[in-house]
Amino acid sequence: MTAPTPEVLALLEATLDAVVIMDDRGRIEAFNASAEVMFGYRAADALGRNVNMLMTAVDRIGHDDHLRRYLAGGESRVLGRGRDVRVQHRDGSEFSVFLSVGRIQNTSPPRFVGFLHDTSLRQKALATLEKERQVNRLYLDLAQVMLVATDRNGVVQLANQRAIRVLKREHAAIVDSNWLESCVAPDDRTIARAAFRSLLVSGNDEPQVCEYHVRSSDGEDRFITWRGVALRDADNFATGVMLSGEDITDQRRAESEAHRALERMNSVARLATMGEMAAGISHELNQPLAAIANYAQACVRFLRLPKHDLPEIAGALEQIASQALRAGEIIRRIRSLVRNEDVRRETQDVNELIREVHGLLASDARVHDGKLALDLTSPLPSVTVDGVQIQQVLMNLVHNAFEAQAPEHDGAPFEVRIATRCTDSGDVEVSVSDLGPGLAGEAEQKIFEPFFTTKASGTGLGLAISRSIIKAHDARLGYRANQPRGACFYFVLPAHQEAPS
Amino acid sequence: MKDLPQTVFVVDDDDAVRDSLRMLLKSAGVHAEACASAQEFLTSYDASQPGCLVLDVRMPGMSGLEMQHELNLRGLTMPVIFITGHGDIPMAVEAMQHGAFDFLQKPFRDQELLDRVQRALVRDMENRARLRHTDRIRERLASLSPREREVLDLVTQGKANKMVAGDLGVSQRTVEIHRAHVMQKMEAGSLAELVRMMMAVAPSP
Repeated sequence: MTAPTPEVLALLEATLDAVVIMDDRGRIEAFNASAEVMFGYRAADALGRNVNMLMTAVDRIGHDDHLRRYLAGGESRVLGRGRDVRVQHRDGSEFSVFLSVGRIQNTSPPRFVGFLHDTSLRQKALATLEKERQVNRLYLDLAQVMLVATDRNGVVQLANQRAIRVLKREHAAIVDSNWLESCVAPDDRTIARAAFRSLLVSGNDEPQVCEYHVRSSDGEDRFITWRGVALRDADNFATGVMLSGEDITDQRRAESEAHRALERMNSVARLATMGEMAAGISHELNQPLAAIANYAQACVRFLRLPKHDLPEIAGALEQIASQALRAGEIIRRIRSLVRNEDVRRETQDVNELIREVHGLLASDARVHDGKLALDLTSPLPSVTVDGVQIQQVLMNLVHNAFEAQAPEHDGAPFEVRIATRCTDSGDVEVSVSDLGPGLAGEAEQKIFEPFFTTKASGTGLGLAISRSIIKAHDARLGYRANQPRGACFYFVLPAHQEAPS
Repeated sequence: MKDLPQTVFVVDDDDAVRDSLRMLLKSAGVHAEACASAQEFLTSYDASQPGCLVLDVRMPGMSGLEMQHELNLRGLTMPVIFITGHGDIPMAVEAMQHGAFDFLQKPFRDQELLDRVQRALVRDMENRARLRHTDRIRERLASLSPREREVLDLVTQGKANKMVAGDLGVSQRTVEIHRAHVMQKMEAGSLAELVRMMMAVAPSP
């Protein structure tokens, strides 16, 4: 036997596979470092011993015979082809290796080299990997969001349980299908595609947010908020995208219902003119006051009777107390209503404010069988006002105008006109005019006084409140006779002054 | 049957107002029953119960005015006192035009209510007495034979027996017998009383 060259030695020591060389009788001639680690023998202990000590009991028997038969010119089941075999560690434990055996050429007697690759390690790693995958899978499935990963072409690589549930499809029906074509609602594909491209070309890893519908297998569209990031390889090349999606269909539905309810409430509140509001308030306040007066007077009468029904009197007194509190509560509510805690002055276009309430005013017109005409000058200087309050005043004036005409309806055009114009001083005048009877002498004097009313069912508060609102805007609510007939109420709002910078 | 106690029916949707009215009436020794809505009253009311109504003009569902209209349709003559708030005066005026007995603006002095209630109860008693009277007259009228009815109509027009006999083509003696039957059946002591009875049941102009 010739001593191995340094190159061969280096090779033997560098390889992670165990390398074992044996002679024609199966005696070990070389045993590299990896073999030492794999089998637990030191090379010095292994050299010269029969290689079958590395084998399991099953293989050990007959190995020598097999070797002899081969050397006598027989067939080899081993040479030139690798196979998985079980081997035995020095401590007796068995494990699997991938074994390939070669005959070393030009030596006599013949010698053999065996490469043993520890597949149990690989299997262990595979098992670990599989376990990790399962854990990851579990994480994915535990997530309350939809998780979907696709490759660069949008082909789905992964979808978690949540995604499966929302899409109502089998995992297999999602994976390997094209995300945009098979899962995104047709109307939203353009948005989804744009978001997908944007992710692939974006340089950073900030999640991008977008919203679009997915369509489930039964045709239902669910609205999803998506957060997406690009998946990148080692070269920072975007290989695909990962999306996490939250199903906000129900939330959106609830939100829009709440929004609609609020809108309804707002329009109802606006529809109720201030006069109606005041009538409602005075009626409401009258109830507890009437009850208190009744109870108190009943008590006096009971006490004048020769025999006192004290429990009854006590009950009435309790009622008096609670009705007084009820009245106080009503007043508190009015105060908070009048205090206008939410007053927000903003720069506004009066024409825009008028157009916003036009629908409501037009319905008031229909109720009174009349017409509402807009005569808006455009453009107008903008004004700084509380839009809702100005709209309330407008509603009140328009409502009054229709009511003023109602009893006089004599076939004449039944029309209320809202006009805006820019005054000579550059301010904005808003006027509401009608073709009703107008105001006679005394009424013209008193029209803005609280509780003065010309209407059968009026409270006389609408105009008074309107005036105080307009006054709070540094303007004046005025009256002039309309031409050719009727009444005209107007106010002039100061034009918005740009703050000096 | 004749002397059911008079009851003041209070109809108001506001619990406190309703209960306080009932208690105020009770403190004045007036029997009162309270209903929370017009519907509740109309379904439970027995027309033979005498009394009067104290009604809130403003009520959800059927308003006081609508209830008054309904009472009129049903031919119920119980006097109605309306209770109104500040802005409801025009409604009260309308109610008066439709035959309301009186109205009160709340809050009010107890005596104002009690006086009106007393007057309304007296009115109801009179109404019912009148009603009983005319009912009796109608019953008696119904007991007359056709010929007796003819004689009655003619004598109450002021015709003498002789003229009646001529009009009907019978003897004066026959008219006298019919006339005696009429006076007896109608329980009239004199022609003047008979005429008053006929005026009481005559449809009002």
